[in-house]
Amino acid sequence: MAFEPVLSRNFNVPGSQSIDVYRQRGGYRAIAKALEMGRDAVAEEVKKSNLRGRGGAGFPAGTKWSFLPPNRTVTYLCVNADESEPGTFNNRYIMELDPHMLLEGILIAGYTTRATIAYIYLRVEYHKAYRILQKALEEAYAANLFGKNILGNPDFSMDCYIHRGAGAYVCGEETGLIESLEGKRGWPRIKPPFPAIAGAFGKPTVVNNVETLSCVVPIIDRGAAWFASIGLPPASTGPKLYTVSGPVKRPGCYEAPLGLTVRELIEGKDFGQGMQDGKKIKAVIPGGLSVGFLTSDELDCKLDFDDPRKYGLLGLGTAGAIVIDESVDLRQVLMNIARFYSTESCGQCTQCREGTMWIYKIARRIASGTGRLEDLDLITEITATMGMMTGRSICGHADGATFPLKTLIKKFRLDFENYIRNQKGVAEVIAAQ
Amino acid sequence: MAMIIINGRAVECAEGTPVLKVAVDAGFDVPFYCFHPGLKIVASCRLCLMEMRSKDPKTGEMVWSPRLIPSCQTPARDGMEVRFDSPNVRQNQRAVMEDYLLNHPLDCPVCDQAGECWLQDYSMKYGNALSRMTEPKTVNPKKSVGSKTLLYQDRCVLCSRCVRFCREVAGTNELCVIRRSSYAEIDAFPGIPLENKLQGNVVDICPVGALLDKDFLYKQRVWYLKTSKSICPNCSTGCTICIDHNNGRVWRLRPRTNRKVNTWWICDEGRFGWKYVHSNQRLLAPMLKGARVTWDAALAAAQQLLAPAGKAQQGKGVAVVLSPMMACEEAWLLAKVVRAAAPQATLVTGFVPKASADELFPVGLTDQAKAKFIIRAEKCPNRCGVEAVCKALGGPQATFADFLAKAKQGTFALAWIVGGYSQEWVTRDCSDALSKVSQLIVQDIFPSSLSARADLALPSCAWVEREGTFVNHAGIAQPFDRALPPPVGCQQDSQYLYRLAGMEGLYRAEKVREQMLDKVAELRDLWTPPAEARGMH
Ligand SMILES: Cc1cc2nc3c(=O)[nH]c(=O)nc-3n(C[C@H](O)[C@H](O)[C@H](O)COP(=O)(O)O)c2cc1C
Ligand code: SF4
Ligand code: FES
Repeated sequence: MAFEPVLSRNFNVPGSQSIDVYRQRGGYRAIAKALEMGRDAVAEEVKKSNLRGRGGAGFPAGTKWSFLPPNRTVTYLCVNADESEPGTFNNRYIMELDPHMLLEGILIAGYTTRATIAYIYLRVEYHKAYRILQKALEEAYAANLFGKNILGNPDFSMDCYIHRGAGAYVCGEETGLIESLEGKRGWPRIKPPFPAIAGAFGKPTVVNNVETLSCVVPIIDRGAAWFASIGLPPASTGPKLYTVSGPVKRPGCYEAPLGLTVRELIEGKDFGQGMQDGKKIKAVIPGGLSVGFLTSDELDCKLDFDDPRKYGLLGLGTAGAIVIDESVDLRQVLMNIARFYSTESCGQCTQCREGTMWIYKIARRIASGTGRLEDLDLITEITATMGMMTGRSICGHADGATFPLKTLIKKFRLDFENYIRNQKGVAEVIAAQ
Repeated sequence: MAMIIINGRAVECAEGTPVLKVAVDAGFDVPFYCFHPGLKIVASCRLCLMEMRSKDPKTGEMVWSPRLIPSCQTPARDGMEVRFDSPNVRQNQRAVMEDYLLNHPLDCPVCDQAGECWLQDYSMKYGNALSRMTEPKTVNPKKSVGSKTLLYQDRCVLCSRCVRFCREVAGTNELCVIRRSSYAEIDAFPGIPLENKLQGNVVDICPVGALLDKDFLYKQRVWYLKTSKSICPNCSTGCTICIDHNNGRVWRLRPRTNRKVNTWWICDEGRFGWKYVHSNQRLLAPMLKGARVTWDAALAAAQQLLAPAGKAQQGKGVAVVLSPMMACEEAWLLAKVVRAAAPQATLVTGFVPKASADELFPVGLTDQAKAKFIIRAEKCPNRCGVEAVCKALGGPQATFADFLAKAKQGTFALAWIVGGYSQEWVTRDCSDALSKVSQLIVQDIFPSSLSARADLALPSCAWVEREGTFVNHAGIAQPFDRALPPPVGCQQDSQYLYRLAGMEGLYRAEKVREQMLDKVAELRDLWTPPAEARGMH
């Protein structure tokens, strides 16, 4: 049976950004239903669906909401729309093509968590999404979907603001986001306390990704049981918006149940439709840069919450695949990755701040043709000195840096050794020096 | 109370104290940079990481978790077990130390911090002699961040202590971190240079040679400095300080940790307020009617001046003005000397210099109880102590204003007046009043119109050249040591008072204090703050 699109069902409908078209297609039915069900029932439903966060960490949304202290007086909802993970653009599709779905998700989450203000923290480069969201928000306000006594409910009032970032990757990290939202430098916070206890402006706060919140709409509309039957239950339930970029025939954003294999994503006729003529796969970064690399032999990796770990990857990540073909010089890949994580390090933790820059310098030297074999071990050793998972760093940026760097070197070691033995640099790198 | 185990040794501590602090207080040598007990915890240097024993979720057994914990951010809980001597922890310390030195210029030979630099110390212990980075170093700039402070960014470890200080203690927010990654820099916010009245503290708390005091820059290698314990005489807070001196000169003052009084800080008025000590304008020899005399002659003259006045009161009195710049012991000695000759002499607490109001920090605060630091309006260290001495001695007393009023009426035949202020203090009013006093003995640091017309002028020593006890605004009595000998030709004030009092030998504050204890209750509990372990200053 062909998969019936859930999150992308309005993407190709003309006028999908308008509230009228959204309503005609059944939009804002779920929030009305949620208001009838009551907060506890909605929370229970989201828990039962086993909806896990789509922002990268895969934390169950229902559980996260249940961490809010019961006696709180103020709650904030932060919508993580900072989408800066290289290779990832599914949030952008949602915001540009179906903004009301996100707004409805915000409403349901806000209602359930008793949030009074929702902040959409939007990546600053998303100018188009900003205009579209702004317009959608105006429409929603006009329809009493935001503001006081939403849909006539005396027990539900919420405002929504769009806050645009200032171009820092680390502000996608939930506490970096909160700091930045508060007008401070986007330095991730030490935890505890977690945002659910003391988040934005010191108040209990829920941070969820755009896609996570969008998933809440069909969960309420069609029930948790239905949602949980999609994908690979029990761990990986629901639909997922995958993105694929690189030299495939049809790069873009496609929906499928969780558990699609990397091969299907690249080659499937509903997805990437295979490599462009004459190109051969060298490597794939399956889930946003931070998860790490797969070789062309590992394309059967399933994009769910468990399988990527078996391939030495960080996790599912954002399921935004980047395909790299054989014509690409992996030294440049290494250098670009190291540069990205180094310049995006917020600079708090010593190992992340200095380690990533050191690796970048080594990678640049390797690319310029003066690499040494021991550099490969050195890079691997430096990656082992940082990371939140081993307690060495404050946030996941350092882990995000280590996985692509160490898997690239580990899985393509022979290529790097050959490059180094040949002692011929990449012309552009040498020219840039 | 809680009992925690660190490296196998049981240590008692208050529940909830950061594990790092517990360890350092217990004498363990844990490396760290960003933690400071007076500032918010940021846990960003990642040098203090330890291993903790916790329950394995699968087996329920207690095992050492491979995940390191920031000990500064982890509150001590009873029964907790941590260690920082394992290979895993050592490996982290080595890695972090290697990171710190990657882009560091290694310019210790020309760095003021050398000798008291945590980066040097840790490198010796945890670092490598050679850097494994073969690429060029990232070069970060040197700059001035305020009129008194320089920043050598290339030596900075980005612990953000200075930034937090300006935010949390001074409340002035001048410093911030700009740029990201290895290019991150400390800087003054555009248009707001570092000029707050506590700013010198950022140099103290900088664990490395990044923030530098322009006043001290290139003056001394710190290993030549000798350190004496003292109390700041600039206001009635009475901050505990260290005087760093060498070759008979003061080079800098630093705060000494004192939870009861100044916590970890001092103000710039105090920090830089010692320059007058080395002024070439000081009164350096006794003067009898304007002519330089020997000490023997001067003291004989003092006795003579006192004697007839005491014998024949002629309806006119004797007064002794005890400056609030004097130590309790000095005030006691002088009062005794004068009262011995003139038992009815009036005891006067001298001129109390005052600013308009107390200054509370963080700035803008009005609630004294919430203040993290207070510069007091009363610009002298020992009004309370001198008043206590006067009270203990009883007999005729007067405030300084009363004294001047009485003097104006020609009440006094003789007045012994002590100054000791760092600045000109004799007002027109004061000198008019005192012109009605028949005979004057003036004891002061600097010559003034008063000393010029005094029958006898005796040089006073600055507080760094004296020892004694100050009682601060809250009644806390704190002893201070002598750091420097008196300038050539001078004697410590209490030394000549000693002789006048007929006491033998060298003046020791302690000996005088013993005599005072029964009478002056304020001196019974002397407060000397416990020395706190390294890094907690
Ligand atoms: C360096 C870094 C960058 C991140 N960037 C994003 C991002 O751009 N968007 C996002 O949704 N989550 C991002 N995350 C994950 C968030 O910290 C957080 O887990 C997520 O917003 C939680 O939402 P979810 O539970 O709905 O997935 C990032 C994490 C790290 C460590
Ligand atoms: S791990 Fe890196 S990005 Fe995250 S807080 Fe530390 S320095 Fe900043
Ligand atoms: S991380 Fe604990 S002292 Fe810096």
